[in-house]
Amino acid sequence: MSTAVSPADVTAARAARRGEVIVEFKEVWKTYSGRDILAGVNLQIRRGEVLCVLGPSGTGKSVTLRHINGLTRPDAGDVIVFGESIVKLSEEELSPVRRRLAMLFQGGALFDSMNVEDNIAFPVREHTEKPPGEIGRIVAETLNMVGLPGIQRKMPSELSGGMRKRVALARSISLEPEVILYDEPTTGLDPVSSEKIAQLIVDVNHRLQTTSVVVTHDIVTARTVSTRVAFLHQGRFQFIGTFDEATSSSNPLLRDYFRAMGFPCGTGVFQAVSKGE
Amino acid sequence: MAQPEPSATAIFYRNLGWLRFVDRFGRKGSQTVEYLGGLFQMIGETIAASISRPFYTGELVNEMDELGVKSLAITGLTAFVTGAVLAIQTAYSLEAFGGKQFIGRIVSLSLVRELGPILTALMVAGRVGSGITAELGSMTVTEQVDALRSMAISPIRRLVVPRVLAVVIMMPVLTAIADVLGILGGLGIAVTSIGMTVQDYITSIWQQLAISDIFSGLGKTVFFGFEIAVIGCYNGLQVEGGAAAVGRSTTRTVVLASISILVSDFFLTKLFLAI
Repeated sequence: MSTAVSPADVTAARAARRGEVIVEFKEVWKTYSGRDILAGVNLQIRRGEVLCVLGPSGTGKSVTLRHINGLTRPDAGDVIVFGESIVKLSEEELSPVRRRLAMLFQGGALFDSMNVEDNIAFPVREHTEKPPGEIGRIVAETLNMVGLPGIQRKMPSELSGGMRKRVALARSISLEPEVILYDEPTTGLDPVSSEKIAQLIVDVNHRLQTTSVVVTHDIVTARTVSTRVAFLHQGRFQFIGTFDEATSSSNPLLRDYFRAMGFPCGTGVFQAVSKGE
Repeated sequence: MAQPEPSATAIFYRNLGWLRFVDRFGRKGSQTVEYLGGLFQMIGETIAASISRPFYTGELVNEMDELGVKSLAITGLTAFVTGAVLAIQTAYSLEAFGGKQFIGRIVSLSLVRELGPILTALMVAGRVGSGITAELGSMTVTEQVDALRSMAISPIRRLVVPRVLAVVIMMPVLTAIADVLGILGGLGIAVTSIGMTVQDYITSIWQQLAISDIFSGLGKTVFFGFEIAVIGCYNGLQVEGGAAAVGRSTTRTVVLASISILVSDFFLTKLFLAI
């Protein structure tokens, strides 16, 4: 006889399994127009962490992210998600894996033709048999969680960039996924909105016990949210470690990157940022 | 004195124009093969998805309204004016032979067998085909299609199947209405300018028009609708880049769908005549 599993049980079960490897890249290669974007990438992502993928523009950060849910397939190598190799799965076969993942796209990717409520309810209606009342409750709850209560009837065109991303985040968490993939979540936002999004990433990760992979070139966001950072350059991860380890790293590529982003290593700027000075 | 043998470099440069032509031809050829391969793959997936669950009935009804009902004005007006012009031209040509009584037959037969289906299809290709490509194209470039895939929802089932079915279902309906309006356009001219009675005009139509004429005319439009919708959807889903790429794809849809309609009309006409 089956028994209903409460959301609290699910998050508790996830918390108990923190640290296990749930996504793994093995020698992944990807070429676009004759250029190796990913050149033998190796990476392990552990349950419960927030991994920030840093790197200059055009180095394949988003491409790496899209390999995790199979939106992009590698030319060579293997991507293992929840213990299963996904590189050769058909779109239909990928469905069970994708239902355990969610992705927040750079522009939000809200459906223009639907209002906020329908956007958030969309994956719930597609994948569950929940009654309308229950779906309405989920929509209200997720909107509360992202700090936008009562905007169910608004259309995406009526929302600011930051609000669109928060609604998109609400849609992403409506099915309580195990892993959330964030593609440049703060790009194009003002510092205040960026800070709100960063706090939301931390909050969602903590409350739902999700695993998050955040592609960003926003150092402040990475500092706020990351458990670990992975620095991608010239098709490979040149550094993987905590943010503090990154700032004190002697890796010349990483030091150059931080300097170019206006945060020179060893100057105390990071400490000032973390204290909000 | 014997001419020296031209060097390999000289031969290469002498033939450079040809080599460029062959290179360009080869590239175009491979692009065409790639395009057709992708198109037929999507057609296969669309057919498979349209006969298996889940079905998006609500979406289908919306699309039938959006793509079909809202096309009624343009297809109806086109047919009405064409019917009227056909009546004027026929009267002008046959006047010398005393053949005015054939106007009803000629107008109705031309419209029901050929002009109704082809003009409706071309109008729908312009309005609906371009609209589908623009909509799906903008969804593609704003990552809404990827968002669907990331939610484990098939864009073929959710976006393509309802549009293809809607156009396939609505094309014969639009054409049947266009045929009637075209005949009425001809009737208006026959009565007001040529001096025929309504009775004569209608009798002339009934004497000539057979069920097989209506069947062949409407039957063709099912294929035209399918061509318009799959080309529109495929071009929309293949857009790469930004707004400019959406615009190029939209133009491409209208051109390809129109050519496809005209070419397939030739074969479908032969097919339906043989049945």
